[in-house]
Amino acid sequence: MTTLSTFLTRTKGRADRRGGIGAQDVLTYGYLIFGVLIILLPVLWTLLSSVKPERAIDNFDTRLRPLAPIVAEIEGVGSKELFIYTDDAGNETNVFKAGPTRVITDVATPDQPTAVFQVPKDQLQIAEEVRIATENYLDPILKRNGQDNFTFFTYLFNSVFVTVVATLITLLINAMAAFALSKYKFRGRLTFTLLIVATLLIPSSIILVSLFFVVWSFGIFGSLWGVIIPAAATPTGVFLLRQYMLTIPDELLEAARMDAASEWRIFWRIVMPLSLPALSVLAILSVIWRWNDFLWPLIVLISDPAQHTLQIGLTTFSGEFDSDFHYILAMTVVSLIPITLVFVWLQRFITTGIATTGLK
Amino acid sequence: MSLAGISLIVIGLLWGLGGSIWLLSHRKYRLVQVPTFAMDLLGFPVEFAQSLWGRAGVPYALLLPNMLIFGFFTFLPMILNFYVSFTGGSSISLFSRPWVGWENYGDIFACETIFSPRTCSNEGFNFWTGLFNTLVFVAIQVPLLCIVALATALVVNQNIRGRGFWRAMFFYPVMLSPVVIANIWNWVLHRKGVLNEGLGGAANAMSSLAGMTGFDIVASVFFAILLMVASERALRSGHEPSVAWTSAFGVLFLAVFTWANPLSLLGVEGQASFWLGLVLALGLVWIVSVGHGVARMAIFAASLIAIALLLTIQFDAVFDFGRFRPINWLVTPDTGWAMFWLVFVFCWSHMGFYMLILLAGLQAIPRDLYEAAKMDATKPSRAFYRITLPLVMPTLVVVLVLSLIRGFQVFDEVWLLTGGGPGRETFMMVQNIYETAFTGQTPDYGAAAAGSVLMAIVIAVFTFFQLFITRRQSEL
Repeated sequence: MTTLSTFLTRTKGRADRRGGIGAQDVLTYGYLIFGVLIILLPVLWTLLSSVKPERAIDNFDTRLRPLAPIVAEIEGVGSKELFIYTDDAGNETNVFKAGPTRVITDVATPDQPTAVFQVPKDQLQIAEEVRIATENYLDPILKRNGQDNFTFFTYLFNSVFVTVVATLITLLINAMAAFALSKYKFRGRLTFTLLIVATLLIPSSIILVSLFFVVWSFGIFGSLWGVIIPAAATPTGVFLLRQYMLTIPDELLEAARMDAASEWRIFWRIVMPLSLPALSVLAILSVIWRWNDFLWPLIVLISDPAQHTLQIGLTTFSGEFDSDFHYILAMTVVSLIPITLVFVWLQRFITTGIATTGLK
Repeated sequence: MSLAGISLIVIGLLWGLGGSIWLLSHRKYRLVQVPTFAMDLLGFPVEFAQSLWGRAGVPYALLLPNMLIFGFFTFLPMILNFYVSFTGGSSISLFSRPWVGWENYGDIFACETIFSPRTCSNEGFNFWTGLFNTLVFVAIQVPLLCIVALATALVVNQNIRGRGFWRAMFFYPVMLSPVVIANIWNWVLHRKGVLNEGLGGAANAMSSLAGMTGFDIVASVFFAILLMVASERALRSGHEPSVAWTSAFGVLFLAVFTWANPLSLLGVEGQASFWLGLVLALGLVWIVSVGHGVARMAIFAASLIAIALLLTIQFDAVFDFGRFRPINWLVTPDTGWAMFWLVFVFCWSHMGFYMLILLAGLQAIPRDLYEAAKMDATKPSRAFYRITLPLVMPTLVVVLVLSLIRGFQVFDEVWLLTGGGPGRETFMMVQNIYETAFTGQTPDYGAAAAGSVLMAIVIAVFTFFQLFITRRQSEL
């Protein structure tokens, strides 16, 4: 709690301010609170809705609490929804409907199911209780109630596999290229640099069609490798790492060469550990890119449900069950949680990392 | 087993087995050095290149994997795009595609008039609709995104409490995937969703409040007090009017001006009063922020006008919204709401990233410039125009270019939220390419490739045009 309060009240920069709260502070904090509300309210509303029972979702119940009708097991009748009957004196009794709903409806109390009496319909109110609808989450994940289309763990595995493997490959080959461009003088260095700048200017969506042909002829179309490989080399990553590696002193490398270390060992033992800050920023960026990647996986993986990533799985799930909002919302929350946890855990690191490396 | 599979196995064998043999024959490893051996094996091609050609060969070996991927998956498709765009049919095998020359391009340009896509052929209709929609989207979204990102960066850069928290909050939507974003907003924007519910509740409450007797008097007095407080604070602070309070006053002035609708006396109907009021309010803020000599007089005059207008407003009519009808935000055609919400959601989800880049730019501005400005008693607004804006310009240009390129490629959110609808109102260029090539019964790769080439040209023209305009500030 103390750390939280220090975190929330920490300030930085000039301390020579006059005391009190001026108009500028009001505007500033008003803007900040307004912005954060716009950002958080939809997400929180989705979280809240995802634990509401199916009936509340279908009726677009906009009350905050997850309310479900109370269903009681009544002897000789079966399970019935309970209603609250308010008589003219203001007394409330729990009743259930013993017949069809009419202006004057037949009802009976659960204690005496056979003692049917008649009440006006508008004095009946549905009895509700707060109930967290865990089935929204558990049905698709555990494949209950016929919800076997959302193979959550397959999707999660695929997403994690793509993200981790692609990030590792990206880090390795981008660091190798950045090392070559920053620490060696060789013929064609400018050419290679310009080539990489050129890829920075080619938007990925204008080469979709022909990339499809290339990936198809490599035989990796329809497999996770078809998503991992094409995007593994990122110009942004090469530049980010190159800028950072330029700051590593050459003397360190020369000293290692004196000790007859091979170039690969210099790279692996000296350059890689020293560029850890830049590497971790690239790792974070790569994780965000891969985890949220949508269009290319949609093209490559759509035909085989066993290869779907979480994003594609969620898309097809939302498309198939257009009306089952309670499952869609729950699965949306499920796929939102991992990246949110990563963010909460690393947020300081992520925001300062991206800001200070001057990503351009 | 495909050719790629066989070659992959050969390379794997050479790398794994050959590398192990080569390493073991050249170096001595103890048992505890298994990790070292694994590391050396991973870099075997580099080690091998060094032993063959000395240190001169190493950079090429280091660059090889990166350049192979760039070559095969970026440059080759780029060139292939042109070839595919000149071929027809739906064959996946490149060499069995018939050459059709300019036919795909001809289909796109087969229009009576290009500016009305309805007169085009089918392909032309799709392409030009996508292009014009994308242009509208970019024209609204890019400036809006840049202004909001800059404003947020300026606010977060101030000496505020919990700046790490605010910064993280604004960045959070960047982490969310398009599907999650689309599902969230779909749920919020549903016809019976929480937004309509909230708006309906607010409208009904306001209407019933306006129906009470004496509401007109109370509202008039209330707004008069607000106006007086705002103008008084704006005039009082220091020896020059305060910009912050003038902004607050400007908002009030705009509201009063719109409600009083003075232009209706001249017979001009519609939204004209709002726009005139907006121009006047912005002009007022501008006059004050540049420290013009007539600033005080302007505020004084504006408050007199506002009070006069206030007396003519029938507040019970202004706040009576009648019965609220839920709006089907993403589905009702010809309202522009679908495009509005796409722009909104896109800004919502991308703003944090650009805010961080701008924040880095702002923090790179030396503090002593502001110290010096403070010594000379420079007003904050002047410091903004003379110090902050010029010095953050290079970063702003980068943000502009990035968001422009990104905006042209918009697909995920649009496809998931509206699917291009209602009708074709939000049908974008990338969706045209995607649907032409990958979703139809008979995929038309040639037409899609032709569309891609034209889209590349559009993006290139806009990017270079922008870089050309801002070439002095640019550091790209």
